[in-house]
Amino acid sequence: MALIAIIDDDPDILEASGLVLKSKGYDVVTANNPNDGYRIIIEKAPQLIILDVMMDEPDDGFFLAQKLRRENISTPILMYTSISKTVGLDYDKGEMIPVDDFVEKPISPEQLVAKVQKLLLKK
Amino acid sequence: MLENKPNILIVDDEKGLRLGTQRLLEEEGYEVTTAENGYEGITLGTACDFDIAIIDMKMPDIDGLDVLGAIKKVFPNTICIVATAFASYDTAIEATRLGAFSYIPKPFTPDELIYQLKLAHQQRTLLLEAEKLKKEREAQMLEIANEKSRLNTIIKSINDGVLVFNREGKVVYFNSSALKYLNLTEIKIGDNIPDEFPPQISKLLNKYISSEEFIGKTYTTQIEVLPNGELFVEAACSPIKNPDKTLAGVVVVIRNITELKKVELIKSQFVSMVAHELKTPMAAVQGFLNIMLDSQIPLPYEKQQEYLSRSVIRLRSLLDLVNDLLDISRMELKTKQREIVEIDMSEAVKSTLLILELDLQKKGVAVIEQFDEKLPPIKADINEITRVITNILSNAIKYNKDKGTITVTLSSVQNYLVMKVADTGIGMKPEEKTNLFQEFFRAKNEKTRNISGTGLGLTIVKRIIESYNGKIEVESEYGKGTLFTILFPINI
Repeated sequence: MALIAIIDDDPDILEASGLVLKSKGYDVVTANNPNDGYRIIIEKAPQLIILDVMMDEPDDGFFLAQKLRRENISTPILMYTSISKTVGLDYDKGEMIPVDDFVEKPISPEQLVAKVQKLLLKK
Repeated sequence: MLENKPNILIVDDEKGLRLGTQRLLEEEGYEVTTAENGYEGITLGTACDFDIAIIDMKMPDIDGLDVLGAIKKVFPNTICIVATAFASYDTAIEATRLGAFSYIPKPFTPDELIYQLKLAHQQRTLLLEAEKLKKEREAQMLEIANEKSRLNTIIKSINDGVLVFNREGKVVYFNSSALKYLNLTEIKIGDNIPDEFPPQISKLLNKYISSEEFIGKTYTTQIEVLPNGELFVEAACSPIKNPDKTLAGVVVVIRNITELKKVELIKSQFVSMVAHELKTPMAAVQGFLNIMLDSQIPLPYEKQQEYLSRSVIRLRSLLDLVNDLLDISRMELKTKQREIVEIDMSEAVKSTLLILELDLQKKGVAVIEQFDEKLPPIKADINEITRVITNILSNAIKYNKDKGTITVTLSSVQNYLVMKVADTGIGMKPEEKTNLFQEFFRAKNEKTRNISGTGLGLTIVKRIIESYNGKIEVESEYGKGTLFTILFPINI
């Protein structure tokens, strides 16, 4: 089964999402900041990256996604955020952000798994 | 008898004639003044607006024609009758040229005189009537002119832009604010709707103009005149109605709403941040609950307990956040009921420390109190002051090192009560310090990762302090500790 990297600064989200994906038979690696995230992507070469947007870090999720694409790492990225599209920051998939799909938190395990399967198949 | 006694001036050097005429005219109901020479005639005749003056031509001092000229110059409506024994064609012409009404040869009979006076009086009445009408008309014209210029001045002074179009869509009026708010350099009166006009306004104008039926409604539209929110205006278009209920034109009022839009943006960004902050803990709790509900994920009892207690912690932080938000919202609405009392700050600090005792023990943090004696009391709401002290002290605990210390100093300096809270904690980087009082800002680094907070604590502190005209300052050294200084005015 595929290896999925989850990068999120919320340890609870990391744990819950990780468990859901593991229960579906995926292998999971996690990181709670963009630097460690970048490192596990390089070292473990996952087939899919689940990346949180707002990590309150100076180099946030967007930054990491751009950095990966610049380095020609084309692993599909599922961007994960709890910002609602309806307020303030409007963005949509592909809009300046080199990601493959976009989901809003909270997301149900079924939705998460469905998105992951779809992105892995696309590849 | 005559209604309004006409005022008659008789200028004649012949005493008998003067007095005789006076008696005669007074009997006829005239009011008579007499002058016995030319000089007196001029003095009297130019001092008072007589209805009629009877002037003798030949007087030893001043010639009758000169008297006539002098009176006419000052009172052109005084009717002058020239009387003379030496009637000549030349003097008659000269007298008429100077404005004499008639010419009466001496000696004259009473009837002749009375007849002449009646005609003169009629003329006088006509002249006065005409003069009155003229004055009235002039006054009215002046009023209209004043009204027009006043209206013009008013419209020009209005801060909002005003533009008027006639029913053909031609510009008939605009003020300078209209140019400014539409970012146009010029509009010409009589021009059609200019091409560089915002299409939103042109569209509305055409709607009124092209409609068969009269549209009575006012339409408004918001336009971003300059990009990046530099100039935002709201244009309100209203129809101008003819008395026969057809369209006379359209008036467009343009209001600058740039500041309003900025506030809206800040508000929407704040809502967006709040939504994010609320959703994050909810997502975590939902994640745990979903796992526990999922029969495909077997979880040992201890794991379930762990997830439940982690969920409870997240929910508690969510509740803290909601409470903080409510506090901020109340502060903004100023609906918060304040009860201003005298507060002894040393007591307030001590009682807050008691509440935080457990947190202090957990971290092994010691508190050093350095309170000046005889501190003046401050006047404030005790709940707000407790909130300030709690937020500052709990930060000093949370961001302290294990077994660190907190030094609380209270003193009075000039008109301020000064509270200093110094910790021996992780400190801040300069860039973190600048964002410290921003909503939801939390210094994120490897040292703060496991410290929970809403990101609103210091925002609330700052708002409370500033609402009492106080000040809050911060000094910090990364890795060494942070010092908060709060200055609270004493005389309020």
